[in-house]
Amino acid sequence: MGWILFKRSLRDLKAGFARYVALSLLIIFSIHIVVSLMGAAITIIDCTESSDSELCREDGEFSVFVPLRDSELSSITDKGVSVEKMFFFDHPVDGDKILRVFKVRESINKISLVKGSMPSSDDEAVIERRYSEVNDINVGDKVKLDGKEFTVSGIGVTPDYNTVIKKVTDAVVDSRYFGLIFVTPKAYDELYAKGENLSSEEYYYAYLLNGKMSSEDLKSILEDIKFDVGDTNDEYFKEYWERMTKRKDDLLEGIDKLKDGAKELADGAKELSDGSKELSDGTGKLKDKMPDLKKGIKKLDDAAGKFEKGVKEYTNGVGKVASGASSLSKGAKQLSDGTKKLNTGAKKYGTGMDQFAGSVDKMTKSDYPYVAGVAKQLSDPANQLNGGYKQIQNGISGVNSGAAALSSGAAKFFEGVKKLNSAGKSLSDGASAMHKGTTELRKGADKLSDGVKELYDGTVKLKDGAKELADGAKEYADGVKEFSDKANDMVDEVFNIETSNLMVFLEHDVNPRIDSAADDVQINLSASIIFGILLVMLFAYVISVFIVHMIDQESSVIGALYSMGMKRRTLIFSYVSVPVIVAFISGLIGTLIAIFTPIGIPSQMEDSLGYFSMPEMQVKITPFLLIYGLVIPPVTAFIVNVLVIRKRLKKTPLSLLKNEQKAVRGRDIKIKGLKFISMFRLRQFLREIRAGLTVIFGLFMSLLVALMALNTYVYCNKVKDYYTSQTKYEYMYNYKYPTEEVPEGGYEAVAEGLQKEIYGYTFDVTVLGITKDNPFFDTGDLPDNDTDVVVSSAVAIKYDLKVGDVFTLTGENGDRMYAFRVSKIIDFSASMMVFMDIDRTRKLFRESDDYFNCVFSDHKLDIDGGRLFSTVSKSDIARSSGVYVDMMGPMVITMSVASSVIFLVVMYLMVKMMIDRSSFNISLVKIFGFRNKEVRKMYLDGNFYTIVIGALITIPLCKWIMDYIYPRYLVSNVGVGISPTFTPEMYLIIFLVIIGLYLIINFVLTGRIKRINPAEVLKNRE
Amino acid sequence: MFIETKDLKKSYGEGGSFVQVLKGVSIKIEKGEMCVIQGTSGSGKSTLLNCIGGLDTIDSGTVSVAGTFIERLKGEKLSDYRRDNLGFIFQFYNLVPNLTVRENIQVCEYLTKDPLNIDELIEVLGLTEHQYKFPSQLSGGQQQRCAIARALVKNPKVLLCDEPTGALDSKTSRDILVLLEKINRQYGTTMLIVTHNNSIKNMVDHVIYIKDGEISKDYINETKVPASELEDL
Repeated sequence: MGWILFKRSLRDLKAGFARYVALSLLIIFSIHIVVSLMGAAITIIDCTESSDSELCREDGEFSVFVPLRDSELSSITDKGVSVEKMFFFDHPVDGDKILRVFKVRESINKISLVKGSMPSSDDEAVIERRYSEVNDINVGDKVKLDGKEFTVSGIGVTPDYNTVIKKVTDAVVDSRYFGLIFVTPKAYDELYAKGENLSSEEYYYAYLLNGKMSSEDLKSILEDIKFDVGDTNDEYFKEYWERMTKRKDDLLEGIDKLKDGAKELADGAKELSDGSKELSDGTGKLKDKMPDLKKGIKKLDDAAGKFEKGVKEYTNGVGKVASGASSLSKGAKQLSDGTKKLNTGAKKYGTGMDQFAGSVDKMTKSDYPYVAGVAKQLSDPANQLNGGYKQIQNGISGVNSGAAALSSGAAKFFEGVKKLNSAGKSLSDGASAMHKGTTELRKGADKLSDGVKELYDGTVKLKDGAKELADGAKEYADGVKEFSDKANDMVDEVFNIETSNLMVFLEHDVNPRIDSAADDVQINLSASIIFGILLVMLFAYVISVFIVHMIDQESSVIGALYSMGMKRRTLIFSYVSVPVIVAFISGLIGTLIAIFTPIGIPSQMEDSLGYFSMPEMQVKITPFLLIYGLVIPPVTAFIVNVLVIRKRLKKTPLSLLKNEQKAVRGRDIKIKGLKFISMFRLRQFLREIRAGLTVIFGLFMSLLVALMALNTYVYCNKVKDYYTSQTKYEYMYNYKYPTEEVPEGGYEAVAEGLQKEIYGYTFDVTVLGITKDNPFFDTGDLPDNDTDVVVSSAVAIKYDLKVGDVFTLTGENGDRMYAFRVSKIIDFSASMMVFMDIDRTRKLFRESDDYFNCVFSDHKLDIDGGRLFSTVSKSDIARSSGVYVDMMGPMVITMSVASSVIFLVVMYLMVKMMIDRSSFNISLVKIFGFRNKEVRKMYLDGNFYTIVIGALITIPLCKWIMDYIYPRYLVSNVGVGISPTFTPEMYLIIFLVIIGLYLIINFVLTGRIKRINPAEVLKNRE
Repeated sequence: MFIETKDLKKSYGEGGSFVQVLKGVSIKIEKGEMCVIQGTSGSGKSTLLNCIGGLDTIDSGTVSVAGTFIERLKGEKLSDYRRDNLGFIFQFYNLVPNLTVRENIQVCEYLTKDPLNIDELIEVLGLTEHQYKFPSQLSGGQQQRCAIARALVKNPKVLLCDEPTGALDSKTSRDILVLLEKINRQYGTTMLIVTHNNSIKNMVDHVIYIKDGEISKDYINETKVPASELEDL
């Protein structure tokens, strides 16, 4: 029975050939892509590992100022560590190229020949592979170095230059301008002796620990190996050394000053002790005299009280006098006024008397005797009266004059008394104040007495303390003297580090030249695993939809077989067999294409081979690859099918016979107010919602793959664009031995490389201290405190930092942590930098006030190369940033095409299935008289809205997911902080591509709708 | 008794849609009998057949076939019961569309350790010249004969036929009935035929009428005529 049912399955395969072919293509394509990506990554990783072992890749390397003596070398090798010289020098070639000249290696970092043979004579050389490829150099060609012509005997690679960069700090390989050449020892010496080199010989050694010691131990041994400064020829080092030793002298001088200061301190402390004693004695005496002082002050206070009282009495008397004087003055004035009036009246009286006397006289001379007689009688009394009057007038005049004088005197007296009264009051107030003051003085004297007592106690303590201080200061001075002696030794010891011969010590795992291809393809491996999982999920889902469709179609047959006793297991195996076989064969084909054809693993390896210097590699077929390519597809198909079929076959035979469909919630909704076609499309959508969702799921999966590619595209292009556009300086010089003066035209900076970890990888973050006038970084005003910093957008994006965030960076040795707060983020993606004021940076890293180790300029500066670690020009950056685009381009294209194909296939399969499922209905509506165009509108064009809605949902969703995954899993090992944000145009293009692909499928399947024959379908149904 | 139901009750739905399809049906069928269950549409005849065939569960009562009380069976045991005892013939054949006639029969051949000879069966059923054709290449009668052969190949004790001639014309129907009669005679297979065709009752041993879920008539046909002589099919 199994065989018979299997036959049925095979015929089903034949009948649904197009469908299975499409499914098969989907699987083949998926497996091919995934196995290719995975296989390339695994091959590179495995081959790197095996070639490292075969070629005895170093465990690390170190360089020294002067070559190690034999005895020094023996001190290491005797302990079981293998060491081999890797001396080199750089030699110019053809003007602008550089070849690094090495002797052929013997036991460590051996050359792996890709072509040809090792040099057999002194005029033969092996050229590094990438340089030979880029510069089109083949075995037998000639390479001219300083007039000496070498015949290329071979082309090879070495494990210590997997990434062929000139300096370990270089960001990118440029094999057109830099490569390696390996010659015989004799040829090496002859070439170096000619002196036409770009730099002096570098004394590098590679080592293999052989499990005999740790790298730390070796480093410790090397640090103990001293050298004589005079042995080195590096003039810049010598200059640096002089500066450093000057610092040592300064330090020693400082220690001497400290010693003298301590002695002075001890002397001063002794004087202080003596002074304190005297002070204490004086204060004692003061304390003794205090009772007398208090007594005196009491007397003074009593006297002041009496004085105050007397003054008060006096002022009261003066007040009364003043009052009397006032009355006197007023009376005198009245008297004066009265005498004045009297005088006036007297004058009038005198005048009247004169007139009277005159009249009497006239009357005496009157003709009338009587009159004359009377007059004569009157004449005498009148005259006497007049005479009396004259006397009175004189008296009145005298009184008047006296009254006036009295009045004036009284007034003056009053004024005087008034002043006296006023002064008396002041005197009284003063006496009161004085009394009050003496009373206070008395109280103060009491307090003073207490204070003096306390002062005395304090001085006693001060005396004791000062004595102790003096003793302590003496001990301190003795200690400082001792310190000084020991500090001199210590300074000698500290500065002795600089006399260590060790210059550079680099373990292999932190050497960017070593194993970098394997590190690089880790991204591809991660991407392919994620991609692979997504694709397996996709085709598993597609298969499950097929199976559900098939079981629905054959429900009554299954029910019939079931009703006659056939068991579910038998049926499950029957239905599972074809998908499993298809999945297996497709997986097999995909795997074979990936492994054995040039469009598989080899094509994916080309990216790496075109950048890294790697030996010939045979594609590695690991169990993991075979499991993914051969086992996972059929197993997935099997599991998914079994799960789906089991669920379907759990129905009773009767239910299957009747082909009962479970009512799906939502399908029975009432649709009102829509035109027939729209209503029909909506019904069709609800009926085929599972297939519609599968299309959207396929779109989702495809978009994830496409966005993985597009993110990479955007990422690489942004690297290319931003690195060039945001780099405003033309040259950046990193100093090995800084000068004291900043070269003219340059802007000095302090660059300190710190580190920060994220997603399991640690990257360098440069703290860059710049001057305010540095025109190359738009930092604005730098924060004026030690913790706030301006960070480049590269740092902010890589470490997800926002303004106000606090973050820490670790020193290179991990021994110190630095905490900063982000005060500003500037748009600078070209490097992970943290900007600070240069002086604060110097302070932070304890450098001198004039220290700098980096110079930026907008033109080439005249700086001696031997002084520098590296020179980075804007053109270097532009060239290197483009390499990412070149490297990742093929992967981007492959994934974009893959995602489009996957989407096309899934959409084709699902829409075709929808049409198949509706074929009876389509035939019916055709019988009713609907035209093909209308049928297409009803059954096919409704999918347009599914695709549009699906695209509008999945595009942002996938972008969000990919933006989450991308930095964490795909570029987590890349020290670049760039956000792969898309422009609106890109979103529009993605949307239009999806619609375009849909229209292709729509066009293809329109033909299928046309081919549905109503009569035939009805016949089949019958 | 070979097939016996006692007070068999079966209902569908609940609340407003509750329908009591079988209201305590009790029947007895002897071994080797050809029995017809007749009734109008919705009377419960197919439900009764399905209950006997173990295709549908029962609410109460008992169903025993060849001594097996099937209401006690579940899952695999129910499958085994059907595998060991029953053959089904449906109105719409339910053949596997992408298997040939012979292969469709072979599907069930493997369900038993003691199948009938396929060649002989094919010959008996007149399918020799069609045995390598697919169902879609056959007429309705030929497909039904194939379905009968498929049901018979495992030599079932009981053949349950649900409207076996429902989709066939008169002549083809007669041919099929003749065939069933022949099989009954030749193999002694107990047959239970559900039909609304009034003529078929004339060819069988036992006639049961069912109306509104209850047995309205149940009698032994003393005057049965050969299938070939049936009229008004």
